[in-house]
Amino acid sequence: MELKHKTPLLDELESGPWPSFVSDLKREAISRKTNEKGIDYQCPAEMPEDLLGVVELSYEHGRTHWKHGGIVGVFGYGGGVIGRYCDQPEMFPAVAHFHTIRINQPSGKYYTTEYLEQLMSLCERRGSGLTNMHGSTGDIVFLGSHTPQLEEIFWELTHNINQDLGGSGGNLRTPSACLGMSRCEYACIDTQALCHYMTNEYQDELHRPAFPYKFKFKFDGCPNCCVASIARSDLSFIGTWKDDIRIDAEAVKAYVGGELKSNAGAHASRDWGPFDIQKEVVDLCPGECMAWDGSKLAIDNSNCTRCMHCINTMPRALRIGQDTGLSMLVGAKAPILDGAQISSLLVPFIKAEEPYDEIKEVIENLWDWWMEEGKNRERIGELMKRQGFQKMLEVTGLKATAQHVKEPRSNPYVFWKEDEVPGGWKGDINEFRKYHQR
Amino acid sequence: MAFISSGYNPDKPMENRITDIGPRSYEEFLPPVIKKNFGKWLYHEILEPGVLVHVAESGDEVFTVRVGAARLMTVSHIREINEIADKHCDGYLRFTTRNNIEFMVDSKDKVEPLKQDLLSRKQAGGGFKFPIGGTGAGVTNIVHTQGWVHCHTPATDASGPVKATMDVLFDDFTSMRMPAQVRVALACCLNMCGAVHCSDIAILGYHRKPPILDHEYLDKMCEIPLAIAACPTAAIKPGKVEVGGETIKSVSVNNDRCMYCGNCYTMCPSMPLADTEGDCIVLMVGGKISNRISMPKFSKVVVPYLPNNPPRWPETTDAIKKIIEVYAADANKYERLGEWAERIGWEKFFEKCGLEFTHHLIDDFRDPAYFTWRQSTQFKFTK
Amino acid sequence: MPIADEAAAKQIILETLQKKKGKTKFYLKDFYKFLPDEKLRDVKKLVNKMVTEELLEYWSSGSTTLIGLKGLGKQHAADGED
Repeated sequence: MELKHKTPLLDELESGPWPSFVSDLKREAISRKTNEKGIDYQCPAEMPEDLLGVVELSYEHGRTHWKHGGIVGVFGYGGGVIGRYCDQPEMFPAVAHFHTIRINQPSGKYYTTEYLEQLMSLCERRGSGLTNMHGSTGDIVFLGSHTPQLEEIFWELTHNINQDLGGSGGNLRTPSACLGMSRCEYACIDTQALCHYMTNEYQDELHRPAFPYKFKFKFDGCPNCCVASIARSDLSFIGTWKDDIRIDAEAVKAYVGGELKSNAGAHASRDWGPFDIQKEVVDLCPGECMAWDGSKLAIDNSNCTRCMHCINTMPRALRIGQDTGLSMLVGAKAPILDGAQISSLLVPFIKAEEPYDEIKEVIENLWDWWMEEGKNRERIGELMKRQGFQKMLEVTGLKATAQHVKEPRSNPYVFWKEDEVPGGWKGDINEFRKYHQR
Repeated sequence: MAFISSGYNPDKPMENRITDIGPRSYEEFLPPVIKKNFGKWLYHEILEPGVLVHVAESGDEVFTVRVGAARLMTVSHIREINEIADKHCDGYLRFTTRNNIEFMVDSKDKVEPLKQDLLSRKQAGGGFKFPIGGTGAGVTNIVHTQGWVHCHTPATDASGPVKATMDVLFDDFTSMRMPAQVRVALACCLNMCGAVHCSDIAILGYHRKPPILDHEYLDKMCEIPLAIAACPTAAIKPGKVEVGGETIKSVSVNNDRCMYCGNCYTMCPSMPLADTEGDCIVLMVGGKISNRISMPKFSKVVVPYLPNNPPRWPETTDAIKKIIEVYAADANKYERLGEWAERIGWEKFFEKCGLEFTHHLIDDFRDPAYFTWRQSTQFKFTK
Repeated sequence: MPIADEAAAKQIILETLQKKKGKTKFYLKDFYKFLPDEKLRDVKKLVNKMVTEELLEYWSSGSTTLIGLKGLGKQHAADGED
């Protein structure tokens, strides 16, 4: 079927084995053009076609053809909608307005087809028929709708699908979690429950401006960090444990004997030779806390840093401990302005049990500090650098521990506080002069 | 196209309004075998690339078939996903953080028909709709941003370079021959909505020119104080300019201070940033987020410029392929790309990968730069 | 403790915004300064309430949120959303 715009450059992205977004867009374009179901489209049926046209033009020019728009949104919410306008509206009228809607994905991204169909029907009728599954922060994204449809979509979402929008702007962003205990034996905490709880607990912060800049929560069930919380969230929650790794001695032998596939079969496409527990596990342990005597694996758990390597390598023999909780780390962000940051450890271990009061106390203390002291557009990770880690300890009421640093400071410039030094800073010059001439 | 009301009354926006209900509960969407064994999983195994089994304490098993996807996805495609999930998986499915789709079944005999069905579905151009893979020591799907499909400040497209890269890396999506997993990410400008800064391989769109100023319209279209305040490096100042013999209010940009973030363009459409020759691709490598063996690390810039070359970005995909092949051949088992580069030394990394080292690769941005220089006589000679 | 005299606080916000020249949108932090004696969270709540009363409106850059008097500013015309 002939489409509205010729797209010779994009057409080159239809070959090759990987799924082509171009083929998919064309498919939707045809579906809307033919409209076999007789849908009364509330946004122009040509949206996918005009989107193909705009993108083709960008491929020709090597430049984007979108402008930002800040006003659009749903009433009373500061986030959830991102305004977009095409800078060639006459050429591509169907996408002259093309606003994004972020929908807060259910924790762990499990869906029923019934739920997805409800969303798709809405996206088809009142949107462009195009989505992102999912946006970078984790939302289900409806790509491109017109301004009058935004409230209609929100109404249908909340009234018919029992589903709310996600965050954008200077708000709490849509929190996201790994699939956690639902299907992973490494999960030290119920990430989905914690994520769902915090998302609901802080709905006001998610929908309405509360902060100097964006704030992200991500929840990883273990130190493997599958949702990248340590790199991509202002507050990273990472499951961990305090007690001993559980060892099934027989299964260890089975790995050594080759009856069980090491690394859960993750290296199966190449012959790496027989599994060598000394070389592949014991010697790679960053805590150097393992020993293999040819028949028995021993772990000195007091020197374990819970890096997950041995467990990842022999999942049927080794299991995480049972005294589980999470570590909280603060301040990850992308590079603007002062360079990228990975989160820094603030709370080495905290229990993750409903109603999560201790965790909420840390969160709210951090927020109070940032709301008070943070400059406009300053992430909490930048505030932490500007005012110092010690300040963060002060505002959260947490005690310094050696776990907070990789190494102690190498400059001696300790800025003592007056109350830390006996007698304070009000020296008596006359008393001093009794013993020291001018 | 007649307007159909959902029930919303624009004159009374607060009437019957429902707000702050949050997302649907995840518990509604868990497949029965997942719900039953929640928190009681014993171990898992990758049976073949893209196929996992998780075994519970109860003895129950869940088999997962993971498939890749373009994250820009249409209603029609999602309906096809639904059709598959209805046919094979009792109407349940999930998505992964890295834009893959997981179809789960509760017994082994259901795996093969599911796989056959998935692989039999092809697009018009011959590509797979549902390529199986993305597990273990291989290349999984790329996380990425919007690019030319939807963003106002991108220096490159996102969906296109991702498609081109995954076509080139396809065999490593469907196999597990790498020393460790390779995580590729793309951000279309340095704002990095896709936070690619801790990826094994990061493809980054990068502007190299400051904004162009549309003086004549600037004060009409924009609130100048907002454009000034948007600049992270305070490079924008208010200024007066002569246009057609008339003095009008506008701004001036200290071009040497501009870091090409596009924040001013967000606030002010009269300060466009996109430029055909200026915009380019930067490659960063060696980052990781996992705490496994070594601590998480940042990706490092190893190619400061590659041409932004649609529709298939051959220079970019060639460079990535080269790096991955050298890594695959040279690294030890379990070694992530960054761990390998650190072990052999970055000077050796450039030599082995045949990448030119230029002055642009030496950090000169603020204090942390010093800690990346070599305070030692220890180094390796390279050819 | 919520703001004791909410009507007066609203009036201060509206008057302060009306006096600003050349700029119609402000960060939440600026509103804290308009009401220096009130708690930040209370100011935040009041500002957000004033949005639902159609006195104020949000403007989102995507990464940050600005707040101004409803209908004011150049962006409405620029976006064709008048």
